Amino acid sequence: MTKTHSIVRTMFVLLVAGLIVASYLAAQTAIPNKTISNKATSNKSQIAVRIVAEGTTSGAVACARCHGFDGASDGSGAFPRLDGQSAQYLAGQLRHFASGIRQNALMQPIAKGLKDDEIDAVSQYYASRLAVPFPSGPVSEQIRDLGKQVAEVGDLSVRVQACESCHGPNGEGMPISGVPYLGGQYSHYIRVQIQMFRQGYRKSQQMLVPAHNLSEQDIVAVAAYFEQASRPTVK
Amino acid sequence: MPQKLKEVDVVVIGVGFAGSILAKELAASGLKVVGLERGHGRHSVPDFQAPAIHDELKYSIRKGMMQDVTREAMTFRNHHREVALPMRQWEAFLPGTGLGGCGVHWNGQAWRYHEEEFIYKTHIEQRYGKKILDPDLRIQDWGITYKELEPHYDRFEYLLGVCGKAGNLNGKIEPGGNPLEAPRSREYPNPPMKEQYSGALFRKAALELGYHPFLQPSANMTRPYTNPEGMTLNPCAYCGFCERYGCEHFAKASPQTVILPVLMKNPNFELRTESQVLRINLDSTGKKATGVSYMDAQGREFEQPAGLVLLTAFALNDVRMLLLSGIGKPYDPATETGVVGRNYAYQTQSYVPTFLGEDVHLNSYMAGGASGTVIDDFSVDNFDHSTLGFIGGCYVLCGSTNARPVEFHPTPPGTPRWGRKWKDAVRRHYNHTAIFNLSGTSTAMRGNYLDLDPTYRDAWGLPLLRITFDFPDNDVRMSRFVTHKASEIARQMGAKIVVDSPRTGPFTTTSYQSTHNTGGAVIGADPSTSVVNRYCQSWDVPNVFVVGACNYPQNSSYNPTVTLGALIYWTADALKTRYLKRPGPLV
Repeated sequence: MTKTHSIVRTMFVLLVAGLIVASYLAAQTAIPNKTISNKATSNKSQIAVRIVAEGTTSGAVACARCHGFDGASDGSGAFPRLDGQSAQYLAGQLRHFASGIRQNALMQPIAKGLKDDEIDAVSQYYASRLAVPFPSGPVSEQIRDLGKQVAEVGDLSVRVQACESCHGPNGEGMPISGVPYLGGQYSHYIRVQIQMFRQGYRKSQQMLVPAHNLSEQDIVAVAAYFEQASRPTVK
Repeated sequence: MPQKLKEVDVVVIGVGFAGSILAKELAASGLKVVGLERGHGRHSVPDFQAPAIHDELKYSIRKGMMQDVTREAMTFRNHHREVALPMRQWEAFLPGTGLGGCGVHWNGQAWRYHEEEFIYKTHIEQRYGKKILDPDLRIQDWGITYKELEPHYDRFEYLLGVCGKAGNLNGKIEPGGNPLEAPRSREYPNPPMKEQYSGALFRKAALELGYHPFLQPSANMTRPYTNPEGMTLNPCAYCGFCERYGCEHFAKASPQTVILPVLMKNPNFELRTESQVLRINLDSTGKKATGVSYMDAQGREFEQPAGLVLLTAFALNDVRMLLLSGIGKPYDPATETGVVGRNYAYQTQSYVPTFLGEDVHLNSYMAGGASGTVIDDFSVDNFDHSTLGFIGGCYVLCGSTNARPVEFHPTPPGTPRWGRKWKDAVRRHYNHTAIFNLSGTSTAMRGNYLDLDPTYRDAWGLPLLRITFDFPDNDVRMSRFVTHKASEIARQMGAKIVVDSPRTGPFTTTSYQSTHNTGGAVIGADPSTSVVNRYCQSWDVPNVFVVGACNYPQNSSYNPTVTLGALIYWTADALKTRYLKRPGPLV
């Protein structure tokens, strides 16, 4: 990476950080006179821990069964890493599972079994974890280079923009715009999700054209690249 | 000794929207077309990719996509008695350069003009009599009607994938759109953009005051869209880096996203970038162009013979190229003879900063380039001017195109311009300030014109273009009236502080207003007051066609691009169905 490139990246990260701080401050001033007591906070996190460990009586299975207590899930790629994922994104996806906008037979009854504040609580729980993920498999240099090319530059011949245009440098995600991180996500999971977009099971106007236009090899390569990209830190 | 190249059928000077569409149409008709572009080649991938494209210092402050001011600029003065000086940095307007032209860095604000604008002089004099016009104003008709252009408007909008809601479908007023727009033959290809919070507040206030708010038409996509050329665009991400930037998402309609890939595949077309055209060459009669002379990046001069020359290099550059080539008689404001450079106009912009208070969170950084809410009630001649003493008007838009951290620092009047108090004010107002943007008509005036500068030359030794311009009193009065109306809406929104700031003279090049430079090579029915006939064909040299905002006899309230698109397809049609069958003057 060239020096100017890294400076641009640093500026970009600072810009995003600045916006996060700005929105945090805005959020603070948005709720005047409303103090959240320590008790309430700890109650909220206790609720989250209980749901993660035990589930709810209204039908939600314990999250930890598949996603683990730290959000690392099981490494098979069937289940995504959740640790450090933005709470806004996680809560949004849970609501989409519940409403059926995002179709998933496993997650729909679970999401439906969570009340609105419970969705927020478990989302914040996993957003604040930092897991040690299961190790990724070996990737050939050729595949990784192709993946890096698609992720960082895109592919003009099929009119696909760089993944990192939305998913951020190294796929770190853009919490403020509800875009998930891909860096460190399991490659099998990324591949499956691109197929879900392609086949219309996941609805996203932004992902529609890229998911359609990428070749099978591109998909394997970007997924492998992102799994090995730098990990997000705790937000 | 310049190298003489093999003759081609058509040479296109400048490959932006106009150049690429005309080249595509003619190459598809079987003609050999060469496109000469003075800037670099560039494409959505890899040239516009994030994060590098979101470099505010490079693109907004240092004007990374604009013409290189050290090689080529304009000189400027307010009045013909003054000595013009060259612009050393771009501020008031931003002439782009490079493949795709201004179509890369525009905001995508996609307006049609009104029916009466094409017969402006006739219409104004009929409605108000001649007395409403100040003696030095020089408005005129286009020599072409809205009805003739409508199919071409439609074609360009579908090429771009313009997002909006029709307000007037074949004369029938449609709910949800702009009821004051000119009639359109079919619905927009895509639905309008998402409304910003400031726009929603504006909408409510405007409705309370009896106006007709709507979402502005946008060339930034609201859903995946495949245009009639087979080009697919992606939806806009509302990233707030639109104007002055290329789009990394294939979401903004630009030559790169809507037409260039089709053109580049045609073997009849050849693109030559970094090719600086020096002049259009004429034969000994001076009535026929023989081709163009240009210099490449290595400083080698070439002569490219061609049967047809299309001048599509941005309004100001088009006029300069005509003057450098001796095509048409230069305008002289003293005697009012000559036409090239006549009726130069601009845009009368004003802003109303609206400080809403800290309990209103606007998040204006979530914005597309054209996602504002607008009222059209005070545009052009949508309101009765008979007792007002001026002509023209503005559209009033509320909504952000960005709230980028380096450029966007709204502070109320009285705030120090630096230091801790300034920082405190920026922190306090950043997320709570809406900016109204008023885009206004610019009326052509006898003393506003373009010619060649007698002193300053470019890097190739050729005279710079000289701009002589100031706001006509008419437009200052117009701006005062409409800006006051906009301020009333701002107060209706419950603003704590409203800064009513109409445009006042003199025009200055040191703060950004608009890149909508128009006129200088205007279209018309009378060769004594126009440079090109109704088919954008030079009256003097019939195998030269000039297509650009330089054709506009006066400037509208609206952004010029979509009307230019209509003229482009109108001209393409005239070339294909008339000129190629029988070359020569079409009028």
